[in-house]
Amino acid sequence: MRYPLIITNAAQMHIKYKLILPLVFLLSGIMLYPFIFSLWLSLQDYRLTRINDVQFVGFENFGFIATDQSFLNAMGNTISFVASAVIFELILGLSLALLIQKLVIFKGLVRSILLAPMFITPIAVGLMFRFLLNSEIGIIPFYLLRVGVSLDWFGPELALFSIVLIDVWQWTPFMLLMFLAGLEALPKTPFEAARVDGAGRWLTFFSITLPMLRPVIVVALIIRALDAFKVFEYVFAITRGGPGNSTETIMYYIYQTGFRFFRMGEAAAASILLIIFILVFVILIVNLSRPKVIK
Amino acid sequence: MGRVDFKNLRKSFGSTNIIDGLNLEIYNSEFLVLLGPSGCGKSTTLRLLAGLETVSSGTISIDGCDVTELEPRDRDIAMVFQNYALYPTMTVEQNMGFGLKAKKMSPKLIKEKVNEVADLLGLTHLLNRKPNALSGGQQQRVAIGRAIVRKPKVFLFDEPLSNLDANLRLEMRAEIMKLHRELGATTIFVTHDQEEAMAMADRIVIMDKGLIEQVGTPTEIYFQPKTRMVAGFIGNPSMNFIKGEISNNSELKLPIGNIKVNTTLNLGEHVDVGIRPEKIKLADLKRKPNENIVRVMVTNIELLGPRAIVKTEHESGQVLTSVVDHDDIGKYELGTNISISLASNSLHIFPKIKD
Amino acid sequence: MIVSFENRLSRFLGTTAIFIAIILVLFPFFWIFLESIKPPSLGGRPDIWRFEPSWENWGEIVFNSNVPLNILNSFFIALITVVISLICGAPAAYAFSRFRGFQGARYSILAAEMMPPAILILPLFLLLYKLELIDSRVGVITAHLTFVVPVVTWFLIGFFDEVPKDLEDQAMIDGYTRFQAFYKVILPVVRPGLAAAGIFGFVLSWNDLFYSLLLTGAESRTLPVAIAGFWTFRGIELGKMAVAILIAVIPVLILSYSIQKHLIRGIGGSGVKY
Ligand SMILES: Nc1ncnc2c1ncn2[C@@H]1O[C@H](COP(=O)(O)OP(=O)(O)O)[C@@H](O)[C@H]1O
Ligand SMILES: [Mg+2]
Repeated sequence: MRYPLIITNAAQMHIKYKLILPLVFLLSGIMLYPFIFSLWLSLQDYRLTRINDVQFVGFENFGFIATDQSFLNAMGNTISFVASAVIFELILGLSLALLIQKLVIFKGLVRSILLAPMFITPIAVGLMFRFLLNSEIGIIPFYLLRVGVSLDWFGPELALFSIVLIDVWQWTPFMLLMFLAGLEALPKTPFEAARVDGAGRWLTFFSITLPMLRPVIVVALIIRALDAFKVFEYVFAITRGGPGNSTETIMYYIYQTGFRFFRMGEAAAASILLIIFILVFVILIVNLSRPKVIK
Repeated sequence: MGRVDFKNLRKSFGSTNIIDGLNLEIYNSEFLVLLGPSGCGKSTTLRLLAGLETVSSGTISIDGCDVTELEPRDRDIAMVFQNYALYPTMTVEQNMGFGLKAKKMSPKLIKEKVNEVADLLGLTHLLNRKPNALSGGQQQRVAIGRAIVRKPKVFLFDEPLSNLDANLRLEMRAEIMKLHRELGATTIFVTHDQEEAMAMADRIVIMDKGLIEQVGTPTEIYFQPKTRMVAGFIGNPSMNFIKGEISNNSELKLPIGNIKVNTTLNLGEHVDVGIRPEKIKLADLKRKPNENIVRVMVTNIELLGPRAIVKTEHESGQVLTSVVDHDDIGKYELGTNISISLASNSLHIFPKIKD
Repeated sequence: MIVSFENRLSRFLGTTAIFIAIILVLFPFFWIFLESIKPPSLGGRPDIWRFEPSWENWGEIVFNSNVPLNILNSFFIALITVVISLICGAPAAYAFSRFRGFQGARYSILAAEMMPPAILILPLFLLLYKLELIDSRVGVITAHLTFVVPVVTWFLIGFFDEVPKDLEDQAMIDGYTRFQAFYKVILPVVRPGLAAAGIFGFVLSWNDLFYSLLLTGAESRTLPVAIAGFWTFRGIELGKMAVAILIAVIPVLILSYSIQKHLIRGIGGSGVKY
């Protein structure tokens, strides 16, 4: 029997399509449709305050956003934030994973404790640190002052850095989780071969462990970076973008544009620019991290 | 040089003793095979020598020098693993040179030595490939090459051929022996394949449950097995065993009849009497001295090309397997009774292990 | 010996580093807990370590605030989100794991997870606004599905990959249809995986602030939004904020503890291994 070109009734459909049908319907409804809606939105002058007066404006929103000082500033803040947070987290996470692997006792306990922060709601983390670092009632500035260090953690110079630190506190555990999983999945024998071959700890690490972990590192890096681009809660909980606009991140910018100033069209355009930027970033990372071809 | 000495070696994981007092001297330039059923502790012995496991007690020395506490890198050994253990991210060239790089040898010298060995093993055209772009046999060669490049005192092989298909296995077997003749380094080779052991070894060490059962040349192991375990483990089809008891006049009381033997065993002692299948002959009309004739019924004939395996059964229920040349197969007929002869000097007598 | 290094100095440094990391992680929880049992009059005094513990803040939050309602909302929303995610995600994950022609689908799922909420929130908001579903649990569930479904599906693919294919072949030889083989034989085998993925999805939904902030009101407010409401640091509110934070955090820590091993395996199995 020839396979019908057009599937005319459900009974004839291959089971593999039946199995994915619910997911396809769900995701089309809650992701694909909003995504297309967003694309359309970005081409309109759509204000929540004038919802019956929507006009097609072409790429005007993009033009506005791309030249908006606030947007560029938010983009700059976000990029510095992502770069510094992710690099810290990568190095710390990898070091901790290697240390935990070497633990002889309490391995499970230490792992559980160190993974804990990543499961907590970020708004709670933000508020916790806002409280701990507060210059009047925070315990950390209080004791730093006793040893003669006076820092305004949420002042103009340090605010972005403090938010990076908070992100590092919460999300280094994610890197740790990825690297523990990665290390666990590595075959054991190459390491034994390396011992017999006489390689010391550093040579083994740089020539064997690190190259074998590369796929995990790339995946962890991408997931974490994309997640860090979405940073919102810490800013919302602590600085609301300030002082000035020194901690305004891209998500906070979109939130403000869309839901404080009700300019939906421009917010949509900003989020599409963000997606394009993220896409370029991912492609770049994937390409850069490919092993060099040896001739 | 490369003499290895195990003295009272013990290794336990938790409360189970895996190696239970092992004493063994391995001579310089020898090809020694560790043979035994799987799980008997062969790999553990090898890994103890390599320094990958720490000993529980006892000493290991190489060339008279105690290495028990040394790190693997200070022992001057090289090892080929069962699954090759190539470094997946390095090219063949980097894999082979890695041990030299660890010794901080100059890149130029490393390249020279790697090329030399690659040439020897026919790997030159593969030098820039990664392991996952190689066939099993090629990976095996790289693993061997990586060991050779370092010119160690002792080579360790842990079942290196068991992942290869039959033809390749024969080829690599010949190659490893040729390399051993050329390089003359002490080699310790682990396998559970008795044929491989017989073909390759200068001496074979038979292990069982963490203990050495017998050490000897392949001929000794085959023809003069010292224990019931060795006798049963070596040979294919395996040896026939008959339960018996020493009765008076140094006679053996067996279910298939009484047999005269020379033995130092005591009256009343229970024994296992063994005879290899190829030593069971059809009885001639002329009876020779020292021959014991038994009437049995042929119950099964299995043709194996040039030879056949014939199963027979005595009226007592005792089963005897014999190996018959193809030319003689016509003399055996399924379901008929025949007379077979067991020569007294082919019998192996093992005291019964009480358990 | 706590760390297995040969060298004594590295052993000391390694142990110290782990201790420091543990203290850095635990200290904020510890301090928040202390704050929650300080009498409200002592709230926000970093110099006070010794005091008579008081459960007044806890009492206030439990009996005299909206937090119990917020907890109920959060719980209900997370639960429904996870159930829907599993119902839609499990069959699809199974198909992605078993049938040819879906190689790209695995990565599309990951890409969906990476979609910034910024781009989805605007249309979702407008849509729910038109349907008059702002400040409804249904609206928040819809939004949460956008990030819980992809994660749950992604993890399940890894768990299905680990089940040998022979198992359903055997079931089909025994006379079951492919679909029966799936839900009678394979699903029970991956039950621990379903639980782990479900718990992880639950935690994600429970923790969300962004969507809930914009889509809920007095009726459907979730716990993170309520916590965000303790924004002003009036001394009297600090203790209550601490209590609310602990209430949001403790169940999640317990849940996540139960799935850590599975998460490690799930990641190891999702194609990032050598
Ligand atoms: N790391 C270990 N922990 C516990 N038991 C082990 C370990 N390594 C090996 N064993 C046990 O030691 C015994 C001998 O193992 P091995 O030396 O690998 O045997 P062989 O190589 O002869 O097959 C086996 O019963 C095995 O289960
Ligand atoms: Mg072994």
